[in-house]
Amino acid sequence: MTLTPHKSRTADNKAPRAAPGTDRGRERRRKGVTERNRPLWLLTPGGLLMVLVIVLPALIGIFISLIDLDQYTLRDWLSAPFIGLDNYIEALTASPLLYSVWLSVSYSLIATIVTIPLGVAAAVVTQNKFRGRGLVRSIFLIPYVLPSFVVASVWRTMFQPDGVINTTLAQVGIDGGLWLNGPQSYATLVLVQIWASWPFIYLLALSGLQAVDHEVHEASAIDGALWWNKLRYVIFPYLKGPLSLAFLLSILHHINNFTLPFVLFGVPAPADVAVLPFLTYVTSFQSFRFGLSAAMAFVSLVLVAIPLFIYLRAVKLDTTDDPGGKK
Amino acid sequence: MRTEKSRSTSRKLSVIVGITATALALAACGGTGGEAGGPVDGEGKTLNVLMGVDNQYPEERQQWQTDIAAKFKEQTGADIEWETYASANEELTKIQTSVVSGQGPDVYSLGTTFTPTAYATQAFVPLQEEEWASVGGKDRFVPSSLGISGPDDENQVGIPFVSRPFVLAYNTELLAAAGIEEPATSWDELREQAKQLTGDGVYGLSVAYGDNYDPWKYVWGMSAQAGNPLVEEKTATLDDPSVLEAYQTYFGWLTEDKVVDPAAVGWTNPQALAEFAAGNSAYMLMTTSSSLPTLEDSAVAGKYEYALMPTIPPGATERPADGVEAASILSGDNLVVADYSQQKPLAFEFVKLLTDKDTQIEYYELFGQLPTNAEASAELEAKYPELAPILESASKSVGTPFTGAWSDIQLALTNVVVQSVPGLSEGNVPKNELEARIQDAQNAAQESLDRVKD
Repeated sequence: MTLTPHKSRTADNKAPRAAPGTDRGRERRRKGVTERNRPLWLLTPGGLLMVLVIVLPALIGIFISLIDLDQYTLRDWLSAPFIGLDNYIEALTASPLLYSVWLSVSYSLIATIVTIPLGVAAAVVTQNKFRGRGLVRSIFLIPYVLPSFVVASVWRTMFQPDGVINTTLAQVGIDGGLWLNGPQSYATLVLVQIWASWPFIYLLALSGLQAVDHEVHEASAIDGALWWNKLRYVIFPYLKGPLSLAFLLSILHHINNFTLPFVLFGVPAPADVAVLPFLTYVTSFQSFRFGLSAAMAFVSLVLVAIPLFIYLRAVKLDTTDDPGGKK
Repeated sequence: MRTEKSRSTSRKLSVIVGITATALALAACGGTGGEAGGPVDGEGKTLNVLMGVDNQYPEERQQWQTDIAAKFKEQTGADIEWETYASANEELTKIQTSVVSGQGPDVYSLGTTFTPTAYATQAFVPLQEEEWASVGGKDRFVPSSLGISGPDDENQVGIPFVSRPFVLAYNTELLAAAGIEEPATSWDELREQAKQLTGDGVYGLSVAYGDNYDPWKYVWGMSAQAGNPLVEEKTATLDDPSVLEAYQTYFGWLTEDKVVDPAAVGWTNPQALAEFAAGNSAYMLMTTSSSLPTLEDSAVAGKYEYALMPTIPPGATERPADGVEAASILSGDNLVVADYSQQKPLAFEFVKLLTDKDTQIEYYELFGQLPTNAEASAELEAKYPELAPILESASKSVGTPFTGAWSDIQLALTNVVVQSVPGLSEGNVPKNELEARIQDAQNAAQESLDRVKD
């Protein structure tokens, strides 16, 4: 779907080059503009801002990852000893970085994969008008509106060994066990993350559904499509764009989520939920090893960015003018 | 000391009114700011002060800040700009940015265990005789409170501000009913008493195994009492048998002795306190005077006392010769003056004001935090005899090893408990697993000590 407009644009762009010099005035106007006739210099203010806000801090971060910056050298940080790749070597070989990346990525994937059908189902259910739909939609948004701190505090209370969850399970003869430490803590993290984040998928799915033209519904009805076929072959293709975006944003959000695991489990974290934000927090704010934590942050950025880049190319979120998908 | 809540509130109000009246009276008597008569002329200057936020008494804190600022203005002519931090993270971020940029607060109020880290940054004024003299001399402080001002007497940066020593609380009725006349003074005796006290829905001890701050204090205390300070010069000694014994005692209360509620594996300190306050346990370990408001308003009001935590290590009936009578970690706040400050004399003048006898007593009356000023401490002891155990704990508090690696060591000690909680929950922390975790902690501690730069 996206190839056609892209190809046509390319063809258009090549057109002026095929007949150079035919119009002197037009030739002059083309000077200083791109082949798409867009004056790039207009991007300068935005570009400068990007350099200031993103590129410069990233470069400083990389510089810090190459020096031995800790509480002893912080005062005169520019003259902290340059240690080359030592921080990177330590991060990869003598720290639990890779284990933390694995925990972060796996829990984020599971939480995202589970929330997508939940969010889509909720969006489909509340698509058609019914009495009280506004109220239901508002209730659906509650987990998303609550601050992470509140969500985690409430769940932490409920998951206590003698909390409401274990008490309820005990009434039906199940020993709930320990939720905030040990192997079950990973399930706890996934569960709470799902509870807190499914409305985000729901919101994006809803926006996708609302973009479906009324005529499409009518046409499929005239063609005699039953609800599942209509959903599968008519409606879902409209959701591809919004859900691809939701998948990406969810993964990134979960990987970077510090508050939820921090409030749920505290520091030091139980080994089963020692996700990436815990590691960088402890390295920076408990061990004060700013150089090492910068190296960890950079390594994890690369580790996470590669699959995300491949994903971006695969779903073509970055190659279309219309992130909403097929229309 | 143990008054009704209303009396306590009215006392605080009267103190606030008193401070305000004094400040206003001084303001009325004083001349122009420049001729205030204070030893330092701060006319037209503003001193920036960073303190931890007070969630328990926010309004009183606000009022206190206003009153102290008025008093300081009267003495020196200078204004005070207050900044607060809500967490250790924010505290460190503030220090980091100030240290790197060379501007920020002139005076910091830091937790005692954070002082070694602050010292390691070399960003705070080392206290020589002149600086000590400018705050009234070292002699004005309770001697033990100086134990975590610096690595030794000659190298200090922290001026003691308030003290929050740890003690235990016990239920007098439950102990009397069990025929126990005095609270335990050794850890073994405590265990035996706790066994006697457990039964009929009541447990002997309230322990916060799920707390992120409490556990290491037990291990450090028991080890220090057994003669192992955990750090000797630049060597970590967590692999000493005393550390294993400390952990086994701590876990054994639940797994072997069954004197702690099994739900305690998830408790934080306030939850453990709530169980004691409900009368569900006979002893509450590792608490401070800040538990007073909770206990005064609880089922055990009038039925509890404070006492020193045991100072004889596990497995012993008396402390070994090299053991330390460590009743508590040296806990509280220190004041430090930034080296980049352009108004150091003014900063020390402010520190002097905060450590004055009257200010310290007022601070205790308002916030329940004990003075570090020796005169104020003596006066409080005479005025409130029931404070005696807490003040005694303050005088028997011992500083944790003063090294920039301490934060890592503390984290490693706590991590042993966190990773043992699943076993604890199942009623068994296998010795070999515990030893492996202690070895990991030892390695982490030693690595951190190896990184220390003088």
